Amino acid sequence: MSSFMLSVQDLVVTYNRHSDGPVLKNVNFQIASEEKVVIVGPNGSGKSTLLKAILGLAPIESGSVKVFGTDVKEVRGDVRVSTNLAEVYRLAYVKAKDVVKIFAELKGGNPDSAFKMFYDFELGQILNKRIHELSTGQQKMFGNILAVSFSPKLVLLDEPFDNVDEGRRRRFIEVLRQLPAEMVVITHEFNLLQRLSDWGLYFMIEGRLWGKFSASLLDRLYITRGEASGSLAVMETSLGRLSITLDHGDIAVRTATNLNALLEQV
Amino acid sequence: MALITYYTKGILTNRNLWFWGVAFMIFWLVLGAYSFAQGLPRQSNILVPYTASWYGTIALYSLSSLAISIAYSIYYASSSLAYSFRYTKLSPLSYAGTLVGSSSVLGAILSVIMLVSTYGLFSTRFSLRLTPSNPIEAILISALAGIFMMTLAMFLVLIAVNYVGLQNINLVTFVPLILAYGFGFSQLTTPLPPALLYASPYNAIQSLLFQAYSGLAPPAQLDNASSSLLQWQYLFASLIIWIIMLFLIDSYLLRKIRPRQVEEGRQI
Repeated sequence: MSSFMLSVQDLVVTYNRHSDGPVLKNVNFQIASEEKVVIVGPNGSGKSTLLKAILGLAPIESGSVKVFGTDVKEVRGDVRVSTNLAEVYRLAYVKAKDVVKIFAELKGGNPDSAFKMFYDFELGQILNKRIHELSTGQQKMFGNILAVSFSPKLVLLDEPFDNVDEGRRRRFIEVLRQLPAEMVVITHEFNLLQRLSDWGLYFMIEGRLWGKFSASLLDRLYITRGEASGSLAVMETSLGRLSITLDHGDIAVRTATNLNALLEQV
Repeated sequence: MALITYYTKGILTNRNLWFWGVAFMIFWLVLGAYSFAQGLPRQSNILVPYTASWYGTIALYSLSSLAISIAYSIYYASSSLAYSFRYTKLSPLSYAGTLVGSSSVLGAILSVIMLVSTYGLFSTRFSLRLTPSNPIEAILISALAGIFMMTLAMFLVLIAVNYVGLQNINLVTFVPLILAYGFGFSQLTTPLPPALLYASPYNAIQSLLFQAYSGLAPPAQLDNASSSLLQWQYLFASLIIWIIMLFLIDSYLLRKIRPRQVEEGRQI
């Protein structure tokens, strides 16, 4: 059995073989016990597709995804894995509080701990609404809270801070930092990474994954056009070769609010 | 247990079900009692089978509209199911079992509403107590019919979700209703061969409900009492075989469920 909690090897995902190329191109990465990583990348780079592939929600063309040592295609009833993806909480057309109760039972957890977190985040009022009646930010926080409830061991979060106000962002980051679970957080925002300095960091560009770096190095990372000597990684992109370098280079990563803006500068 | 409760609750709060499955069906019963019954003699040996044939047919239509609600709920839940089978305690078998429980309750509820409506409207119209002969039997048959409609709806939606795609999902969800109208109306007015009536689960439901209301053996053509009579044992066996067969296929298809974006079903 693999010693990794999550292992992705040579993963290729294609949604439509006839008209599109692969969305993920030979992606490799592993998550060890108690490891937390953040994957940053521009919109459309394949970050969410990677998460969906791990959850069994995207068509794997080749390669493998192993969750706690079991191929994702064979996984059944493993309650240790959770996510904030809204589409997985659509089992029945009921109010938010009933969705919480349903998933508490299906995860073998206690709904009261989740309800407490909703009230801690001053979101108690959303529990009596149906999911589609919530604002975008409320829907995001609904998924976030369910993802960290019921004692998960591997938490997969897709853009957990999108449309979430600053106060709740700070508090939710603290929840994530203190949760004793492996974690993969996907975002396109850089300014949050400074609060996750002890996490691993990957870049995803055009379906390829580059890393792992330490998020603590963020202030020292630069992107340089071409293949720079002493670079930490060289990324093949449609813009040409880009090198990730330490302490010197063309553009400092810290100056960009997100990877979209950074690539525009490049 | 939570899922079956909330699933039932979710479907019961679906306004479309209440309009098309209940209000529209009561409208048809009003027509059956007050418009189509012109000239019928006030004799119970004529009015009982007449009322029972309306009950059997309208209850069948009502139950088939339940299938539409169930079909849509499965279609919207495809990603959730694919996730839940992997990462929660929910298994394809337990989910199918949940829907069996839920659809039997929903079928029984619709049946009670149709029974009371039929009895009230036809008795008032003819000033004669046209009491159902065996209401418990009618409710039990309707519970089974609810399960059949669920298994059929699930089968059709899973074929679309797993293999065909969602381009025609709106049509697919209406297939149980379209078949109900086709088979139901045919048995009402057309002399169909008994073999077809025994093989058709729709006609089995319609005939068994006729028998439960009237206490009479169902004729092959419901508006013609002199047509050949059907054996309830064969009708019942047919319905059970259909349910078991579709349930087994559904359980297999659920294991292979393919997560789909609901947007794939958009036509416009």
